[in-house]
Amino acid sequence: MNISTSKIIKDWVPNNSKVIDFGCGDGSLLKDLINEKNACGYGVEIDLKKIQECVVKGLSVIQKDIDEGIQDFESSNFDVAIMASSIQCLRNPHMALRRMLRLSKQCIVTLPNLGFWKCRLHLASGKMPVTPNLPSSWYETKNLHLCTIKDFEKLCEDEGFAINKRLFLNDNGVKGLLSSLSPNLFASEGIYLLAKK
Amino acid sequence: MKINTDLIKFESGINLESGIKLESFELMVETYGELNADKTNGILVCHAFSGNHQASGSESGWWNEIIGPDKAIDTNKYFVVCSNNLGGCSGSTGPLSINPKTNKSYGKDFPNVSVLDWVNSQKKLMDYFEIKQWHMVAGGSLGGMQALQWSISFPDSIKKAGIFAAAVKSSTQNIAMNEVGREAIRKDKNYMGGEYLDNNVKPKNGLKTARMLGHITYSSESIMDQKFGRKFQDINSKVDGTVDYEVENYLQYKGEKFSDTFDANSYILMTKAMDGYDAASKTHGDLELAMSDIKAKLLVVGFDSDWLYPPKRSKEIQLAAMNVNVPCSCVILEGKQGHDSFLFASDDYVNIIKGFIESV
Repeated sequence: MNISTSKIIKDWVPNNSKVIDFGCGDGSLLKDLINEKNACGYGVEIDLKKIQECVVKGLSVIQKDIDEGIQDFESSNFDVAIMASSIQCLRNPHMALRRMLRLSKQCIVTLPNLGFWKCRLHLASGKMPVTPNLPSSWYETKNLHLCTIKDFEKLCEDEGFAINKRLFLNDNGVKGLLSSLSPNLFASEGIYLLAKK
Repeated sequence: MKINTDLIKFESGINLESGIKLESFELMVETYGELNADKTNGILVCHAFSGNHQASGSESGWWNEIIGPDKAIDTNKYFVVCSNNLGGCSGSTGPLSINPKTNKSYGKDFPNVSVLDWVNSQKKLMDYFEIKQWHMVAGGSLGGMQALQWSISFPDSIKKAGIFAAAVKSSTQNIAMNEVGREAIRKDKNYMGGEYLDNNVKPKNGLKTARMLGHITYSSESIMDQKFGRKFQDINSKVDGTVDYEVENYLQYKGEKFSDTFDANSYILMTKAMDGYDAASKTHGDLELAMSDIKAKLLVVGFDSDWLYPPKRSKEIQLAAMNVNVPCSCVILEGKQGHDSFLFASDDYVNIIKGFIESV
């Protein structure tokens, strides 16, 4: 995760929140949230190597395949659920979003935008996009469900998720003018704060 | 590795959960490594039902693969303590000990003991070493239950708890399996209503059958297939003529060995303690309430091939911890050896334990 994305997420998490980070990776964000926001934090990760890195950092991490269901966590009443750059790796992204909003008041989602102009150029030249945000070649990528900003917002509308905040970054990781004016074409990444309507 | 074995007497005695008081008791204790000057590097390991104080450093060490220099629980850095549980038969006060009131062995009259009693007795051991806080309390199976209970009973005296292949309480199936074992012992003609010591006999057959069943439950279908398949036992190494398959020979051998060393009354006592454990027994079944005061960080590890305390039992601990904001990590590891997997040092298991111990 780039520094600006992680900074925006941290800004959006209220102090003293109970947080669950789905696809927490090595736990860097979670550690920051605990240190800087006094969060009570849990991570969910499928990769054992990354889980070990989390444990070394003193974090609470749960080994789980999000696609197999996160309903168990519904009794835990989280303030914020985070899914940073992981939603596109799930078999059932829409199901995961629904469940996240059942176990948490709010949820922060970040996703790479397949509508980004560089991706479109790749496709126009007849190739799958490889960009800083989508670094792996088609045969190595873990991404199963890539979408555009438009696609994602359409899903939120269909599912009845309220978009309380949204922010778009270009591929330099900054909130450029163009990426704000026409995110579907100029944003390489979208960051959303969702809640139930 | 520095190893010390000691029989430690506690003159103040102990009030057992059953209401009975032992006026004094002894614990057979083994320690590995050295206690540092400020006494902050103590790790207590708790044994499973048939284990004892010999956790490492010899052929009989039940956790040799995990405890030792540079191992997951590194004795170069930590002072590791393991005691034979009260009611056991490896030197601590138990059914084989002399009852001061009768000047005879307690035998079947040894009072019921519980996981809580063990934890309370280990607290006295902690005070004996003048350790204020364990760096970690860890164990597998019934040992994991003790680690969990430590974090509940003495929240300030334990920094971390390693709870492996364990559960918050025994399942109906666990109790059922244990009852078959106990029944085998009770129906052995040498059991004599538990008074076999007075008659200088031992219910070896019953113990052996109980252990053979036990071994099946500690193992997994796949490891049995892999280890023995349907291979016939070589005629020269059969334990007796009734044996056909290797797996039979293995169970016969293991059962026989166990029945030579273990005490039948202790077997019944230990399995009863296991059956009786419920982390939520003091909170009217409310597990979350029971766990809400935990201050230790928990590491819960389950194993996919464990059908005695299957992964969902580990997840139950994790979930309750998370619901009451207790820090808790949980992984389910591949373990070919079924319930026994917690005894073996796979890379993932070692790395996660090491990471947990070293974490701040």
